[in-house]
Amino acid sequence: MLEAMIEILLKTVVILALPLGALPLIIHVERRGAAFMQRRLGPNRVGPFGILQPLADVAKFMFKEEVHPTHVRPFFYTAAPMIALVVAILPLACIPVAAPFEAFGRTIFPEVFRSDMGIFFAFAASALGSYGILLAGWASNNKYSMLGALRACAQMVSYELSLSTSVVAMIFLYGTNDIHVMIAAQTGYWFGFLPKWGVFLQPVAAMLFLVGIFAESNRLPFDLAEGESEIVAGYHLEYSSMKFALFFMAEYIHMIALSALFIIMFFGGYSLLPGMELIVERAPILLAVLQVTSLIIKIGCMIWFFVWVRWTLPRFRYDKLMDLGWERLLPLGIANLIVTVLIVYFRNQ
Amino acid sequence: MEFASFIVFFIIACTLSAVLLGISSLLGQKRKIVREMDIYESGVNPVGSATRQYDIKFYLTAILFLLFDVEIVFLLPWALAYKESSNHDFMLAGFIFFMVIMLVGYIFVINSKALKWEK
Repeated sequence: MLEAMIEILLKTVVILALPLGALPLIIHVERRGAAFMQRRLGPNRVGPFGILQPLADVAKFMFKEEVHPTHVRPFFYTAAPMIALVVAILPLACIPVAAPFEAFGRTIFPEVFRSDMGIFFAFAASALGSYGILLAGWASNNKYSMLGALRACAQMVSYELSLSTSVVAMIFLYGTNDIHVMIAAQTGYWFGFLPKWGVFLQPVAAMLFLVGIFAESNRLPFDLAEGESEIVAGYHLEYSSMKFALFFMAEYIHMIALSALFIIMFFGGYSLLPGMELIVERAPILLAVLQVTSLIIKIGCMIWFFVWVRWTLPRFRYDKLMDLGWERLLPLGIANLIVTVLIVYFRNQ
Repeated sequence: MEFASFIVFFIIACTLSAVLLGISSLLGQKRKIVREMDIYESGVNPVGSATRQYDIKFYLTAILFLLFDVEIVFLLPWALAYKESSNHDFMLAGFIFFMVIMLVGYIFVINSKALKWEK
């Protein structure tokens, strides 16, 4: 019993500490990446290469005055940032960072919440993200916030449809909802060199999913919720100091969680990157470590992709955004699903 | 037992966000400027209430999302059951029937311009 409790606590702390510890680094990479793409220097004063800048920002957030406006609805105004952060953290509970391994005489599952419905739980939890935003916009009692929240929610639910159709197609292909089985199906190579990743089976679904996670996490080119030129800052306009920081953290953790889900479905999750098998053959003990490393490298690439897209594509116009979601991506997702089902059916004939 | 681990995770996540909120209200600078507490409206005096009428399209989007999302969620158990079922013809026929109904609804929604944003 005690051992089990220690295991749970240890897993919880590690799973929470990894993304939260990586947050300052990700924010720094984003700012330096932005500077790199715009040919300027970016933050480079605090510490070597400005690496301590995010820590300075955290300190500043802590010591800032907490403005509590008089016109807000106090309970929901305070609860909204908490809901946003908690809901962003929840999907991480189901994401395995390595294959189950034997240690201390027992099998350890490297995810907090071991369930064969893990993938559904993760999607359900990440879909709750719109609650924090809608509550923030409504409780702020500000026109810009309200508009931002409405826009964000309409956009998130619209793109969730095409995202779900691609998930159905992938679950149909793998025939399982267990994340470990899904990843096992993506381990190995076709023709000896091409990794068996889902993205090569279902490129259309991968594209839909990718667009979906950009819209779900409110990142450019889909950041209509905070379009500065139209509605100032959208739903977090009336928030200051650490309350604002919580929204900021929630956005980045949501990005990490959705990237992890994308990688599980289409890039083999924690399965080893090509070339790492050579190391495992020599030293099998390193398998779990290398799997965690592979997952972190893959998520890192996804985060860099987020930054890259942010400084490459301009923001959509709102009606075009909704048209793209409902009249292009949703039919594409349904067509992709039907074609997938027909191909599988006729191949098994 | 597995659920216990989730509850522990949930409680720790809640505590974390509460502590973060608490830190800034403890350490934060304290000033009371009345103007600062006012509604932000780009520097002009606020006009009217924030919770006024908004575009009906937002409401329609939410309602239609519910319909289509439920339809897609119904496909999930089907997708899982397909591999294990012995009668693939029946499974395919059910799928096609379901998709036809869904597509008729979708075409109706698009044709009635429920989701056209520009006037």
